[in-house]
Amino acid sequence: MKPILLQGHERSITQIKYNREGDLLFSVAKDTVTNVWYSVNGERLGTYNGHTGAVWCVDCDWDTKNVLTGSADNSCRLWDCETDDNQPYLSVPCSDHKITSAVWGPLGEFVIAGHENGEINQFSAKSGEVLKKAKEHSRQINDIQPSVDLTIFISASKDNTAKLFDSTSLDHIKTFKTERPVNSAAISPIMDHVVMGGGQEAMEVTTTSTRIGKFEARFFHAAYEEEFGRVKGHFGPINCVAFHPDGKSYSSGGEDGYVRIHYFDPQYFDFELEA
Amino acid sequence: MQDTVDMVDDPEYEEEEPSFSDPEDFVDDVEDDELLGDILREKPQEADGIDSVVVVDNVPQVGPERLEKLKNVIHKIFSKFGKITTEFYPEVEGTTKGYIFLEYAAPTQALEAVKNADGYKLDKQHTFRVNLFTDFDKYMNISDEWETPEKQPFKDFGNMRHWIEDPDCRDQYSVIYEAGERTAIFSNDAKEPITVEERARWTETYVRWSPKGTYLATFHQRGIALWGGEKFKQIQRFSHQGVSLIDFSPCERYVVTFSPLMDTKEDPQAIIIWDILTGQKKRGFHCESSAHWPIFKWSHDGKFFARMTPDTLSIYETPSMGLLDKKSLKITGIKDFSWSPGDNIIAFWVPEDKDIPARVTLMQMPSRQEIRVRNLFNVVDCKLHWQRNGDYLCVKVDRTPKGTQGVVTNFEIFRMREKQVPVDVVEMKESIIAFAWEPNGSKFAVLHGESPRINASFYHVKNNGKIELIKMFDKQQANSIFWSPQGQFMVLAGLRSMNGALAFVDTSDCTMMNIAEHYMASDVEWDPTGRYVVTSVSWWSHKVDNAYWLWTFQGRLLQKNNKDRFCQLLWRPRPPTLLSTEQIKMIKKDLKKYSKIFEQKDRLSQSKASKELVDKRRAMMEDYRRYREAALQIYQEQKSIRLELRGGVDTDELDSNVDDWEEETIEFFINEEIIPLGDLYFIPQKLWKILPSSQYNGAECIS
Repeated sequence: MKPILLQGHERSITQIKYNREGDLLFSVAKDTVTNVWYSVNGERLGTYNGHTGAVWCVDCDWDTKNVLTGSADNSCRLWDCETDDNQPYLSVPCSDHKITSAVWGPLGEFVIAGHENGEINQFSAKSGEVLKKAKEHSRQINDIQPSVDLTIFISASKDNTAKLFDSTSLDHIKTFKTERPVNSAAISPIMDHVVMGGGQEAMEVTTTSTRIGKFEARFFHAAYEEEFGRVKGHFGPINCVAFHPDGKSYSSGGEDGYVRIHYFDPQYFDFELEA
Repeated sequence: MQDTVDMVDDPEYEEEEPSFSDPEDFVDDVEDDELLGDILREKPQEADGIDSVVVVDNVPQVGPERLEKLKNVIHKIFSKFGKITTEFYPEVEGTTKGYIFLEYAAPTQALEAVKNADGYKLDKQHTFRVNLFTDFDKYMNISDEWETPEKQPFKDFGNMRHWIEDPDCRDQYSVIYEAGERTAIFSNDAKEPITVEERARWTETYVRWSPKGTYLATFHQRGIALWGGEKFKQIQRFSHQGVSLIDFSPCERYVVTFSPLMDTKEDPQAIIIWDILTGQKKRGFHCESSAHWPIFKWSHDGKFFARMTPDTLSIYETPSMGLLDKKSLKITGIKDFSWSPGDNIIAFWVPEDKDIPARVTLMQMPSRQEIRVRNLFNVVDCKLHWQRNGDYLCVKVDRTPKGTQGVVTNFEIFRMREKQVPVDVVEMKESIIAFAWEPNGSKFAVLHGESPRINASFYHVKNNGKIELIKMFDKQQANSIFWSPQGQFMVLAGLRSMNGALAFVDTSDCTMMNIAEHYMASDVEWDPTGRYVVTSVSWWSHKVDNAYWLWTFQGRLLQKNNKDRFCQLLWRPRPPTLLSTEQIKMIKKDLKKYSKIFEQKDRLSQSKASKELVDKRRAMMEDYRRYREAALQIYQEQKSIRLELRGGVDTDELDSNVDDWEEETIEFFINEEIIPLGDLYFIPQKLWKILPSSQYNGAECIS
C-alpha cells in the first residue's frame, strides 16, 4: 500500500485520533499545534492554535462537535470543531503514580487509567475511587486504546509488550511480545488484528541499524498472539497508531513529525494464518 | 550501652560530653580468633626446641682420643646448613654410641640438614643417616594395627556422555542471559532450540565447557563447580577464593584455576592445579599477573604442562606435578612458546641479541632434542600459529628490513610431517589483520590491508613445498576468520566496529556462498560438527538487540532467537570420534543411502510441527471467539442505555442511522495538466500523407 504522508507538524507527533465516523483525523504534536485532516486524501482541513506548550493528547466527541486537547502548559482546551473558538477548559492536578493514559469505560461509568509504574486502574466516574486494579505490565504504560465497541482495550507498555484486557473485569486476555518498547497499540474494528508501534528510546537510536525507515508498525493476530506483518516507513520511533473506524485503513504518527495514512490492499482482508 | 541511652534524658546532658565507654563489667563476646585472626597466626610459638634438632646415625664410634677430630669433621659438614647451637655426643663406656644430636638455631636449618646430609658418605663404612628428632616420635606412634582406610561411597553421576546419544544428533550449547542471572542449556534443533536445563544464578560470571564436553564449569566467589551427566548434577567442587580464570587439560584430567587474591609467600595459591576425578589439590604456583592466560600450556595428551618466566621455560610432568628432569630450561630472552597440538613438541622464539639473530626453535619433549632451528633477521615480533592437527606451524614474522623504515610481514611455514621440517616463506605486502589455518587441511586464510580496503586471501600448502595463492577477495568488510571445525567452509566476519558483516565462503573452490549481516554482532561460533554457525550480539558489548542467530554452514538464516540481555553462547564440544578412518570412508561411500533416511525423518518432523501449531491456533481461536461472543451479548443488552446516553441517536455502527446522513459533494484537487491550445492544429502536411486515416485519432499530437 502506498501511504499518504501528512506534513503539518514541526516536531514529533504525540497522538492521532479519528473521529467516530472516520472522515477526519486529528493530530497533535510537541510543536503546540493541533491539526485536523481529511482521512480520505490527507488534505488538511485546519489548525487549532492556542496552546503554549506541547500538546500530548486529543479527542473529539461522538458527533464531532467539539475537540478536546490536553497540553504541557497544564491546561485542557475545548475547541469548537468547525471554528477556531476555544475556551480553556480546566487545569489538572497531579497525584502519586503519574497517570500516562486513560479511556472511558463502555457506558461512561468508569475511567480506565494506565500509570507510570505499569498498573491499570478502574476509577469510578462518579466518586473517583478505584474499582478494580490490574498489575500485568512491569514498566510504564504508554498508551491505552479501546476497541470500537469499548468492551476490550489494549495497553502498550515500555516493557516491550502490549496486552489485551476486558474493560469491565480488567481480566488479562492476550499478550503481544516484541523486542522494543511499545509506544502505542490499536485494535482493528473489523478483523482480529492489533497494530503496535514503538521504537527505541531516542537516545539509543544511533546504535541500531542505519537502514532508513526501519521503524515499523507491527501487526499481530489478536487470537494467536503471532506477528504476521510489518509496515516500514517512519524515520523515527512511532508514537501513536490508530485504526480508521471502518477498519479499512490505519494511521501512524512518529517522532519524525510525519503522520502516515495507509489504506490496506485487498490481500490484507483475505489474509489468514493457517488454522 | 546504658550510659549513652540515659544521657539524652539527663538534664545535665548539655554540659557534659557523652561518654561512649562500656560499662565497667562489660565483657565482649567476640572471640580473639575473629578479631585478631591474622595477627595470631604470626604469634611467635613457644619453641620447645626439638624442632631444630637432628639425629645423625652411623657416626663412627670413637674413643676419647679421636673425639675432638670427629667433632671437627661433623662440625665442618653440618655447619653448612646453619648455626649449630648445641651438640650432644652420647657415650657409653668411653666411646661414642654411634649417633649424635645436633641442635640448630632454627627449624628450617634442621630441615636443610636432613635434606642434604642424609646419605652423605663419610667413608666406606659410614654413610650418615640424618633425621629430624620429631620424626622419630611420629614414626614411633604409628599403630601396629593396619586399619584399612574408609571406603568413600561411589557417587554415580550417571552416563556422563548422555548428550552424545541424542537420536537426532543434536548438539548442545549453553546460553547466559538476563545479564548473567539465568543460564540455560539448549539442544540445537533447526526449527527451534529445545531447552534441556535452565537455572537461575547457576554461575556468577560466565561458564566454560571442558575440552571434550563432559563438564560444564561455573564460577562462584568461593571457587568453581563442575556439572555434568544427564541432569547436570554437581560432579565436583574446587574451593579457590576469588577465582577468575580457569583452564582444562586436554585430556580432562586436570583443571587449573587462577585467583589474584589468595597468594601468600609461603603457600603459593595464585594458580592451583586440581585433579578432577578426586577433587584433590595437586599443586599450587605463584603468579604475578594473568595477562597471558593460560599461563600454563598443556601438551596435547596432557602429559606435560609448561610455563614461561623471564629467561626460563619450566616444564612439568603429570601426574607427579614435578619439574621434568628436576630443572627448568634456561632460555635467555624467551618471548613466547606453544605446544604442537599433535605431538609433544614445543616451539619457542627468542629475539635478537647483539650478534645472534632471532631464532625459532622446535624442541621435542621429553628428550629436549632440538628438531629444528630457524634464524630470522631484523625481527620486530613473532607469533606462532599451529595448524589444528600439528601438521604445520606458521610463524608470522614482523620484520624491518635493513635500510627501510616500515614493517613487512613474512609467514614462515614449517612442514612438520616431512623429514627435517622444511620451511617455506610467504611474503605479505600489507599489514595482517587476521590469520587462521584450516582445521583439518593444509589451507590457510589471511585478512590483510587497511580498512576500508581489506583483502581476504586463501593459500594452499602443497606437498612439494609450494605455497599457492588460491584466491583473493578484495574490499571485504571483515576483521576475523572463523573456519568450520571440519574444514572447507568458513565465515569472514566484521565484528563489533564493522557492524556485523558476514561472508560465507566455500574454500574448495573459493566461492562466496552467501553475504549477510547481523547488525553489531560481537561473536561467531561454529558448532562442533560444522553444520551450524551462531552469530550473536552480546549484552556485554552492546546494550540493545541482544540475540543469537542460527545459520546453516552455507549461510542460510534459520532462526533469530532474542533473549533478554543475552550475554554468551558456547557450543558443547564433542569428544573425538571413535570411528577409525576406514569406517569413516565406508560411511562417506554410503552417504546417499543415509541421506535418504534422514530426509524422510526431517520431512515427517516438519509436518508434525505445523500440525501442532495448527492445533494450538485452533484452540486459541475457539477460546477467543467464545470470549468475544459473551462480550457481544453483554454489549447488545446494553444497547438501550447507549441510545439514551446519546439522545436517541444510534451510534453502534457506522451506518446505523443512514436517514440522518447528509450527502455532501466535496471536490478534491487531484491533478493539473497544461495543454497549450495552439499546438493542437499544427500538423505538417507531409505527415498527413504518411499516416493512413485509420491511425489518426482526434486531436492526437504527433511529435
